[in-house]
Amino acid sequence: MTTAALEAQLGSIVGARYVRSRAAELLVYESDGLPGYRKRPSLAVFPGTRDEAVAVVQLLARERVPFVPRGAGTGLSGGALADGVVLIGLNRLTRIIDLDPASRLAVVEPGVVNASLSRAAHSHGLHYAPDPSSQAACTIGGNVAENAGGPHCLKYGVTLNHVVAVNAVLPDGTVTAFGSADGEREGYDLLGAFVGSEGCFGVALDITVRLTPNPRAVRTLLADFMSIDAAARATTAIIAAGIVPAALEMMDAGTIHAVESSIYAAGYPIDAAAVLLIELDGLAAGLDRDVERVVALCEEAGARGVRVAQSEVERVKLWQGRKKAFGAMGRIARHLFVQDAVVPRTQLPNVMASIATIAEQHGVRVCNVFHAGDGNLHPNIPYNGSDPAERERVHAAMREIMQACIAVGGTVTGEHGIGLDKLGYMPLIFSEDSLNRMCRLRDAFDPHRLANPGKVVPVRSCREWHGFVGREAPLGAGAAS
Amino acid sequence: MTQVAGPTGAAGAVIDASSTSQVQDAVRDAAARGEALRIVGAGSWLHAGRPVRADASLCVRSLAGVVEYVPGDLTITAWAGTTLAELDRVTAEHGQWLALDPFGARDGTLGATVATGSFGPLAASFGTPRDVVLGLQCVTGDGEIVNGGARVVKHVAGYDLVRLMTGAWGTLGVLTMLTLRLRARAPVDATYAVNVSAPLGAWIAAYRAASVSPLATELLHAATASALGLGTDMTALVRVSGNDEAVAAQEKALAELGAVRSVSGETWAALAGGDPPRPTVAMRLSHRPARIADVWVQATTIARDVPDAFLHATLDRGIARLVLPRVGDADLVTRLRLATECARVCEVLPAALWHQVAPSAASDPLSQRVRTAFDPEWRLNPGILGEA
Repeated sequence: MTTAALEAQLGSIVGARYVRSRAAELLVYESDGLPGYRKRPSLAVFPGTRDEAVAVVQLLARERVPFVPRGAGTGLSGGALADGVVLIGLNRLTRIIDLDPASRLAVVEPGVVNASLSRAAHSHGLHYAPDPSSQAACTIGGNVAENAGGPHCLKYGVTLNHVVAVNAVLPDGTVTAFGSADGEREGYDLLGAFVGSEGCFGVALDITVRLTPNPRAVRTLLADFMSIDAAARATTAIIAAGIVPAALEMMDAGTIHAVESSIYAAGYPIDAAAVLLIELDGLAAGLDRDVERVVALCEEAGARGVRVAQSEVERVKLWQGRKKAFGAMGRIARHLFVQDAVVPRTQLPNVMASIATIAEQHGVRVCNVFHAGDGNLHPNIPYNGSDPAERERVHAAMREIMQACIAVGGTVTGEHGIGLDKLGYMPLIFSEDSLNRMCRLRDAFDPHRLANPGKVVPVRSCREWHGFVGREAPLGAGAAS
Repeated sequence: MTQVAGPTGAAGAVIDASSTSQVQDAVRDAAARGEALRIVGAGSWLHAGRPVRADASLCVRSLAGVVEYVPGDLTITAWAGTTLAELDRVTAEHGQWLALDPFGARDGTLGATVATGSFGPLAASFGTPRDVVLGLQCVTGDGEIVNGGARVVKHVAGYDLVRLMTGAWGTLGVLTMLTLRLRARAPVDATYAVNVSAPLGAWIAAYRAASVSPLATELLHAATASALGLGTDMTALVRVSGNDEAVAAQEKALAELGAVRSVSGETWAALAGGDPPRPTVAMRLSHRPARIADVWVQATTIARDVPDAFLHATLDRGIARLVLPRVGDADLVTRLRLATECARVCEVLPAALWHQVAPSAASDPLSQRVRTAFDPEWRLNPGILGEA
């Protein structure tokens, strides 16, 4: 089938205005939140209903046309890039289908924006706990695909822990239910496999998530340290004390400067080597006792001072600086490479020292802002992507940083996914047999490898892989058309 | 590796493996002989009557011990045959604990707990094994060593083999090593028995509105409460933790729900190990959490007039669990027909009844393809999921 014929057929399903094929219209879909990659889809199609989404996938399955599902495109690993294949935009599917406050469950379409679900649940005293920094824009469907995290996952868990059921259309066009909101379901945890499969196992049509009661009381603290080491020691001491903070975030001097010289200035001490943003929540009784204990532990670890937010305005301002830190780094340079790695918590001081050395050696500026309580690092490098020499230095530094994380027993992504960007690291953390088994799992869900081709697992690990469907491949290669 | 005959419930030899490579050899040898294997940990599930068709048993009980434990990381890596009791002991030395409390004795193995996806009252706040396991190693049905997850608390690299293996009853791979998330002990950890007044729906509504944030809340049928020495009324067993101020405030809030008294934390172990010996049936009924009162009514109807029935419910997850001793097959089938409104998961059934009352949940085409991807010849625990 030619691209024009496919465009016409897709148009007959969703309406011609919801299929885009002109280069100028496709330009905005060439990138996602990760700079440095540009991949243009052959077509972009935007179903407006669940039935349309199913019909689109069924048509593509019938014609053996590869496709990439996409939410808001805020992902940071290149996972939503479509290289010469069809892009299925799910951002018209924005209905909150059901909200059941008694069971603390919500059913949403994949295009519902993360923060808007919490807003809708607010009047019931509930919220949706996973809170990626992009929550004002990112969609629940995208969160499910990436198994997204966020600062408050330290206490409340990541997306996986909050998804109860998904109805999905598999890449072969079959509609299937994973999990159940109405009691336990036996059998394989296909829901668990679907969450975090980066769009390779199908397209979610609706998602049932758990809602979390809003805490009755919240305290937000800012602890100020003269060394990253001291901040890391405080982190370990707090966790070991049996106190589970709702969030425990670290920002280094580079990040503090970026935030404080931006419109998101939160009043962080600009001469600190690191700050910890610590949130405690729960029942009111006893909470201030925990606050006192955390303050004492920070001081014992060497904090110059610990400030407890005295008003909701101050609290929101402290968080705003953290959540918009990536945006604030935009003032430093045109491009920002946001990295994601996880190390055992006790290795934080070692790894932070390694990162500083690597940055110096390559002449790049690393701004660290990350989930210290989970050991989930985000070393970020602002750079000018139009300078090839600088670009190469940044990439070389990032590779060494990732290797340093792997060397201490860490992993290459805690919440952003592998996508395109991290394919090369997969053989460093998984054996060839493990990668091959992942390919076989993918084939169980998607025998024709149509959904998000070329992502997550390196092509060479799939022994039976018949070739990467790239821009040069004819549309629908392998189909009977 | 030794081969000895033993009372494992499966016909044929028992192969003991004490290393991953011995597990791999055993699986490959079985493949060469065209044989199917029953995978055994402590052997405590064998009385469940699950219809496994195997030629030999592969026992991983000797594949035991802690591989790596850095307390500051709050993670532990251990071999699959390690008992829960051993993990309790090792972690307690550092003021930490594994928040998994499946029903049964603590001499059950970690591997079996994860393979069966077993959980207990703590699932209300810490989730089930799928929420606790961070990484694993296993041997697939065609004898390859495969790893999933990692030894860190957050990990999304690659497809999630950890979730897939957890609760798969060994049919996708023989679990050999697991990494788990641990918790640090809070300064105070207290358990209270709270009197539950009728009507149950109103009591649950009051409970949900109360200023409490329990680690676990288990509703106990009057007879079950009595068996645990907690009086003769319907009782809620509630576990709270935190600093002493937080715990004291919650005790006060619980007192507004009914007469409350502090009881030993050992009560939880008594509940977990309190099933009548060799029960005819153990099963869980469930629905969305708001329907727990309806689920409870169904469970009490099924258990009516059965002496020594054991009945309790995890309120916050909407799950009731009942254990019935000495019920005839025909009577049991009649009783199970009463569970019309809720989902049903069987833990123990008479062998002859599995196919009749617990249809396979893994016979859909996708599940079959997944199984074949990991165990092409369906060599591992064939039949255990009720499949033909």
